[in-house]
Amino acid sequence: MTLIYLILILLFISLCWFYLGNNSAKIIKTKSGRLHSLAHYYGLYVLLYSFLPSFFVFIIISVFDDLLFSFLINDYIPDNIKIEPDYNKTIILAQIQNLIDGINFGNPSDWIILASEKMQEWFKISTISNYCFSILVAIIGGYLGFKNIDQDFRSRNSVEKIVIFLLALSSVIAILTTIGIIFSVIFESLRFFAIIPASEFLFGLTWNPQFEGAERAGSGQEGLASYGSVPLFVGTLLISFIAICIAVPVGLYSAIYLSEYSSKKERSFFKPLLEILAGIPTVVYGFFAALTVAPMLRSGGSLLGLDVASESALAAGFVMGIMIIPFVSSLSDDVINAVPQSLRDAGYALGSTKNEVILKVILPAALPGIIGSIILAVSRAIGETMIVVMAAGLAANLSFNPLDAVTTVTAQIVTILVGDQEFESAKTLSAFALALTLIVITLILNFYALYIVKKYREQYE
Amino acid sequence: MEMNEDKKDFKTNTVGDIFSDNPKIVSRNVSVYYNDKKAISDVSLDIGSKEIISLIGPSGCGKSTFLRCFNRMNDTIDGCKVEGKIFLDNENIYDEMIDVVPLRAKVGMVFQKPNPFPKSIYDNVAYGPRIHGLVDNKKDMDNIVEMSLKNAGLWDEVKDRLDSPGTGLSGGQQQRLCIARAIAVSPEIILMDEPCSALDPIATAKIEELLQTLANDYSIVIVTHSMQQAARVSQRTAYFHLGELVEVGYTKHIFTNPTDIKTQNYITGRIG
Ligand SMILES: Nc1ncnc2c1ncn2[C@@H]1O[C@H](COP(=O)(O)OP(=O)(O)O)[C@@H](O)[C@H]1O
Ligand SMILES: [Mg+2]
Repeated sequence: MTLIYLILILLFISLCWFYLGNNSAKIIKTKSGRLHSLAHYYGLYVLLYSFLPSFFVFIIISVFDDLLFSFLINDYIPDNIKIEPDYNKTIILAQIQNLIDGINFGNPSDWIILASEKMQEWFKISTISNYCFSILVAIIGGYLGFKNIDQDFRSRNSVEKIVIFLLALSSVIAILTTIGIIFSVIFESLRFFAIIPASEFLFGLTWNPQFEGAERAGSGQEGLASYGSVPLFVGTLLISFIAICIAVPVGLYSAIYLSEYSSKKERSFFKPLLEILAGIPTVVYGFFAALTVAPMLRSGGSLLGLDVASESALAAGFVMGIMIIPFVSSLSDDVINAVPQSLRDAGYALGSTKNEVILKVILPAALPGIIGSIILAVSRAIGETMIVVMAAGLAANLSFNPLDAVTTVTAQIVTILVGDQEFESAKTLSAFALALTLIVITLILNFYALYIVKKYREQYE
Repeated sequence: MEMNEDKKDFKTNTVGDIFSDNPKIVSRNVSVYYNDKKAISDVSLDIGSKEIISLIGPSGCGKSTFLRCFNRMNDTIDGCKVEGKIFLDNENIYDEMIDVVPLRAKVGMVFQKPNPFPKSIYDNVAYGPRIHGLVDNKKDMDNIVEMSLKNAGLWDEVKDRLDSPGTGLSGGQQQRLCIARAIAVSPEIILMDEPCSALDPIATAKIEELLQTLANDYSIVIVTHSMQQAARVSQRTAYFHLGELVEVGYTKHIFTNPTDIKTQNYITGRIG
């Protein structure tokens, strides 16, 4: 019996309560001719009274039984194992779980078999008690709600209160999740900074992470690994800068064309087309960059006598620029369209040409929104990973030359965390430090953008 | 035909005297279509030099449409077509050779809702002189801005904060700023489309007062939905009904002794 059935049962019970509540309200209405709220609010009220507490009980039991069992299982782990130096409870729990799932590597020790049997037994008990408690709560809760029903009871107000509570709960969950993510990144980063000093990470000029093992294998070449993140951030900035140099003019011009010059027909054709660009998966852009643009740049560069790396910042930045064009153009088009017609009229009535109206009236009025869309595009560019991995390479060169191969923060995070890894090593942990720095930079960028936009608003509203 | 065409030969359905002794604008048989819908038909009317003429009539009768013909603002509306002739100082403004840029410098416009640019007060007024290249140094520009604001009766209220945004002013001040912006390019005619309909009575009174002084220098065509306003400010009044110019004459005459039955009904409040 899995728990999914339990949820179905709980839903069924509360639906029954809905029916009962609804009906009894209708009966009261016909008898006394008066009812505070519409009948179905009484049904909903009883339904919520039945479902919410029972679902809560269900969640509590299913979450906390694991914790309880992993604590109880301590008694079944022999003491001599507990004092071994590389004793790791997570691994033992995984072994036990594997055994329960029927996955078996070699011959498990007797105590593990015993523990896993015990564990299975407990899980059975927990499942059964979960069923019993939840169903009981569903029935009792529904009954308590049902008892409240009479002709003066304000069920609509109560239901609204509960619904508002649920809405608030959802937004709290979203916020808590974000905070949780940030904190987990912070904690892992702190572990990294315990190994590598923050000053080296922030100001070091070479990035060359190595596993501990590799260092040892390198026979005495300790200090080979270095965690200076500057090349990565320079790479990120270089590629984002190239992308912005392409996306902002193209995006802005196409927005101006779309909103001021194109006919309705052209607009209804081009705008969706541009927005499709935003829907193409970035991995597709990635191979476009690696297979089409990079070779083109290479052969074009050799014609001019330039030495272009086969993976270059220019190729990645160029394609990334194309990718974020829709962000700039679509949003700018929206804000340009939002400039009131009355301002255009004022401009024309003073004898402005179309150009003057666009340059001196519309663009200044739309500027805050345009800046906002550019900032959004920048943060997309900074966070973009796939194109970089495929087109810019992984060589952490400290270079401002767009023709060189560079790498970015995100691309490094991916390479570090993909594949086999030692979780405790400085190399793995460095990914979190990179992520943290990236988060901080993006936050600062966003705050700055908001500040600029707000200043413009104050000036012009 | 030119403006000195024999007036007696000109036939029109309009009651009253469409002619002016000293015309600034002469319009003849003007019809305007939005796509295929006729908005005004066969309107002929003279606008005298330095007179204030008001256009009145129920909403949707084509007052704004007619007004927009004088500075060719109808050109900016998709599907709008103008027929007929409009002469400004003996020149047909719908002639192919006419450039709208100097035309609109000559014929200023003030809109129903105050629409200052989201720029400083100074830059609002300086906008027109700048795009027309009227001045080439800061001092002359300062002069133009000051004179325009003075003529619009706004200088004393804003002279200490010329750098603050024009959009931060009150509605009435904004509308006077728009008037200052229009007169900064030294137009000869000012068109006003219900300039007071978004304003409170005190701000309205100020603008009406201003109109009287402006009439010393400019010809003014004002659309208004308020008959009292038309009676207070204008020398002549033109009554529009369903796209036709029904009656035109001296304001006093129109409001006290209208000839056409439709005008009578409107004046006495039976059409609204
Ligand atoms: N931009 C436009 N597009 C299509 N029809 C319009 C437009 N502007 C005005 N009209 C129509 O032309 C007629 C006259 O309008 P308008 O000149 O604004 O009247 P008024 O200013 O007297 O209220 C109305 O029937 C209106 O629906
Ligand atoms: Mg109108």
